[in-house]
Amino acid sequence: MRRKASLVLLACAVLCAALAPLLRWYAFPRLARIPANQYQDMVLEARGATLLDYGTMRAKKVSGVTIVQTLKGDVDAAKRIERTAGRPVVVWDSLSYVQGPDGKMVSKVPERYIFDAHSQDPVHATGEMVDGDPVTRQGIEFKWPFLTQKRDYEYFDAQTRTTNPIHYKGTRTFRGLKVYYFEQAIPWTKVPMPKTMPIQGITPESVANTGTTRWYSTVRRFWVEPVTGAPVYGEELHKEELRGGTLLGGRDRVTAFAGDVKMREDYIEHTVALVKHNRTLVLMLTSYVPWGSLTAGALLLALSLCLEARARRPQDPAPTEPAEPEPVSA
Amino acid sequence: MRALIAAATGLALAFALVLAMTAMGTPTGRTSPKPLLTTVPSHP
Repeated sequence: MRRKASLVLLACAVLCAALAPLLRWYAFPRLARIPANQYQDMVLEARGATLLDYGTMRAKKVSGVTIVQTLKGDVDAAKRIERTAGRPVVVWDSLSYVQGPDGKMVSKVPERYIFDAHSQDPVHATGEMVDGDPVTRQGIEFKWPFLTQKRDYEYFDAQTRTTNPIHYKGTRTFRGLKVYYFEQAIPWTKVPMPKTMPIQGITPESVANTGTTRWYSTVRRFWVEPVTGAPVYGEELHKEELRGGTLLGGRDRVTAFAGDVKMREDYIEHTVALVKHNRTLVLMLTSYVPWGSLTAGALLLALSLCLEARARRPQDPAPTEPAEPEPVSA
Repeated sequence: MRALIAAATGLALAFALVLAMTAMGTPTGRTSPKPLLTTVPSHP
C-alpha cells in the first residue's frame, strides 16, 4: 500500500515540477497577449494651454484643451494579417481627438497600429498608417512589452512619423505600484499638417500653398508598470508652431498649441486599478504558479521518497512466545 | 521500473495540461461596436 502511494506521489511531484518551466517559458508567451478585441479610451487634459485662434491667426491662452484618445482592436483585420504574418497580431485603430475649451474640434488624427500580441514588435501590413499616410513603424507605441526591462526602448512618434529612443530614467512608486519611468524628447521638427483642419474650407494643401509650415516638439513621459508593460500615467509637454509663409502676416512664427498634457484623474485611478488586476494575472503565469508548483513538486518528491524508504525498511521480527516446555518423561 | 513509469505519467500529464491550456488560447472575441470617440466621456 505504501509503495503504491509513493508512486502516485512521485507522479504528482514530476507533474508539478514539470509545470513550472512549461508555464513560464511555453504557456506565458502563448497566453499573455493583448486581446484582439480591446477597446479602450483615455482622456488627457492640458490646463492653461496656448491655442491658435484660426480666425485672427493669433495664439491665445485658453482654460484648457482636452484630448480624447480611443484604441479599438479590429479582430477581422488581425485574423487576416495573422494568416500571412504567422504570429498573433493585434490591429489597433486609434483616434486622437483634440477639443478646445468651447467644445470645438482642434484636430483629429487617426492611426492604424499593427503589432505582435505578445512581444509588442511592430508588424508591417497594408493599412498601417498615421492620419492617412502609410508608415512603417519601428519600435513600440502606446504600450511596452510584458516584463518591461530597465533599458531604453525605441518609441514611435506619430507626429514626426519617426522612431527615436525613449530613455529609462529610473524606478519609481506610483500609487502603490512599482513603475519604470521613461522619457523621450523630440526636438523641433517640421511635421505634416493634419488632414482634418479645425476651420472648414482650409485644407493642408491650401495652407501649404501659402508657404506656412507646421513644426512640433515634445517631451513625453511615461510611468510604466513593468510586469504588464502598461503605462499607468503619462504626460507630454507638447508644443506646435506655424512658421513662415503668407498666412502669418509677416510674422516669423506663431504658437499653434502649447500645453502640459496630463491624464485626467478618474482615468488615472481606472488605469491603476486595471493594471493592478492584470498584473496579478501575468504574475500567476510568470511567478506565482511556477514557483508554487516547483515547491509543491519538491515536497511531494520528499514525501514519496519517505514513503518508499519506509516500505523498504525490513519488518521488525514478531515477538516470539516462549515455547512451552515439553513434558519430560523420566 | 514502476518509479520510471510513474515519473513518465506525471511528465505526460504536465505536457497534456499545458498544451490543452495553450490550445484553448485567449478568446479573440469580436470587434467592439463602440465608435472611436469624438466627445469627452464623463467617466472611464
